[in-house]
Amino acid sequence: MSGEPIVEATVELEDVTVRFGGLLALDEVSFDVQPMEIVGLIGPNGAGKTTAFNVICGFQKADSGTVRFPALGHNALTTSQLCAAGVARTLQGVGLFTNMSVLENVMAGAQGHVGRGFASSLFGFPAGFRHELKLRDDAMAQLERLGIAKFASALPYSIPYGISKKVSIARALMGRPSLLMLDEPASGLDENELQELAELIVQLRESMSVLLVEHNMDFVMPLVHRLVVLNFGKVIATGAPATISTDPEVLAAYLGVDS
Amino acid sequence: MKWFRSIVAQERTTARLTGVLAVTILTLAITFVLPPVADSQLAGGAAISIVILGLSWLVGWSGQISLGNSGFMAVGAYATGIWAVHHGSTPLIFTFFLATVIGAISGLIIAIPSTRLSGPYLAGMTLAFSAAISPIAQNYTSVTGGEGGLFFNTLTTPHWFLGLFSGQNATINANAQWTADLAVVVAGVAFFFMANLFHSHTGRAMRLVRDNDVAAELVGINLPRTRTVAFVVSAAFAGLGGSVYVLINATVNPSAFPLTLSITLLTLMVLGGIGTLSGAVIGGIIYAFSTNLISHLNSLTGINPTSNLGANMQGIIFGVLLILTMLFAPHGIAGLGRRLRFFVKSVRRVASVSTGE
Repeated sequence: MSGEPIVEATVELEDVTVRFGGLLALDEVSFDVQPMEIVGLIGPNGAGKTTAFNVICGFQKADSGTVRFPALGHNALTTSQLCAAGVARTLQGVGLFTNMSVLENVMAGAQGHVGRGFASSLFGFPAGFRHELKLRDDAMAQLERLGIAKFASALPYSIPYGISKKVSIARALMGRPSLLMLDEPASGLDENELQELAELIVQLRESMSVLLVEHNMDFVMPLVHRLVVLNFGKVIATGAPATISTDPEVLAAYLGVDS
Repeated sequence: MKWFRSIVAQERTTARLTGVLAVTILTLAITFVLPPVADSQLAGGAAISIVILGLSWLVGWSGQISLGNSGFMAVGAYATGIWAVHHGSTPLIFTFFLATVIGAISGLIIAIPSTRLSGPYLAGMTLAFSAAISPIAQNYTSVTGGEGGLFFNTLTTPHWFLGLFSGQNATINANAQWTADLAVVVAGVAFFFMANLFHSHTGRAMRLVRDNDVAAELVGINLPRTRTVAFVVSAAFAGLGGSVYVLINATVNPSAFPLTLSITLLTLMVLGGIGTLSGAVIGGIIYAFSTNLISHLNSLTGINPTSNLGANMQGIIFGVLLILTMLFAPHGIAGLGRRLRFFVKSVRRVASVSTGE
């Protein structure tokens, strides 16, 4: 890292290793995401992409190595503390709260920022009511920004898949994150929706870093600043999309081109 | 039903207060009409509805199960009894506060190991707790009075209230009604607090954990802490309910808290409707008047109430009702209104579509 500019990374993995029994899921993985940068994490199935995500958001403990959030001023956070610290993540396969309306789902995204005690809930202080109203307005604004405000009162099972993916992004944005982690945001979306999603991510980049796991190369390539390629738990290449797409090792391992 | 829902479901605290106050005043008015026996039964129902509400919060909102709420109830009840025997003259509000806090503490003690468990394991753990309470009360005679229990007479009807009654049995009528009114007012306060919790960020945290614990963690919820809070609140309500329950009976003894009480509480909660204020009210009403109805039923059908069949009639009827509720009204009696409206609406829609074609 010597000689690098002084800007601190949003998240930084250093020699992270994760073992599941005999399987080496991550093998001394190191990469970082800079502020306002879009980084794509790609690799074949089972390469360790989701495990890397899980390590960053605290679902999975690393057997060795470290995950740091220098720009956020926090280290070694538990999952529930991450939201307040400014890390938001969407889940593969949406992961909405099934018995709550779309609006409530999005409101829930700011749960880590509530900062109100139990007494406020029990006695129903007016400040709590005002806070709820503000939260509802914020959530509505997020839905409008993503163009899905008309689904606000719908239940998650009744809306199309593409919409529910947007809801999960809106929920993540409610936490006002500095780092947004998207787990396969493009899967299952049609051409129009992909276009909208790409535009949204470019917009978001003005205020946060984005780290995304994705299989759809046509979607990822024009979008990201850098790609990190994983294979069998190892980082086999890091760099701009243009360089990666001609890297022989990557082509052999991932893009399915025979040597 | 609809107007009740629309009032209580408002997010503003004053609206909730109005709703709960309206129902409380209505119930108080009813106690003036009911005969003394029914008033005493209503008092018991009001006490139990507080316990059901606490259970409803735990099961319906946080998605955890407890067979230990009769145990928490017993803790609140004995705290009240022991306090009443030794310091009978303190204001009632202090006694209720004490029982609530001690109930909450017992909930905390059980919650710390329990929140690591879920499903049948959690049910087993809480069942073990409620099974342990009665034997402790039976054997720790110097404090609990053992098998015979404790007797106290803390509830004295004030003179102005006695003055409202005249004629034969004036005192009996006044006492029964004062007891019922007191229980209803305490229940009203408890329901108001629970309505606040339902519509607060704490209530939302519970539903997030219930619906999707992985996603809940990602939006900043500390799972063990949230599950513990759910337990503590539930136990606090059980403690308060237990306190009211024994104060109106002027005695506390181990036989009031059998192992089956927890099952009865769960049954009443499901019958009324899980996770709603009105469901807990309905559960309380069923509890209050079921004993009476069943003895009527026994005498109508000529079943000997001391026979094997007659003595177990309540269990049989509750069991059948429970199955029917699960099959036809999963949201309980409180949810039936909504279901009926939905049914009528869809019938109308089908009718209008078929006539339009």
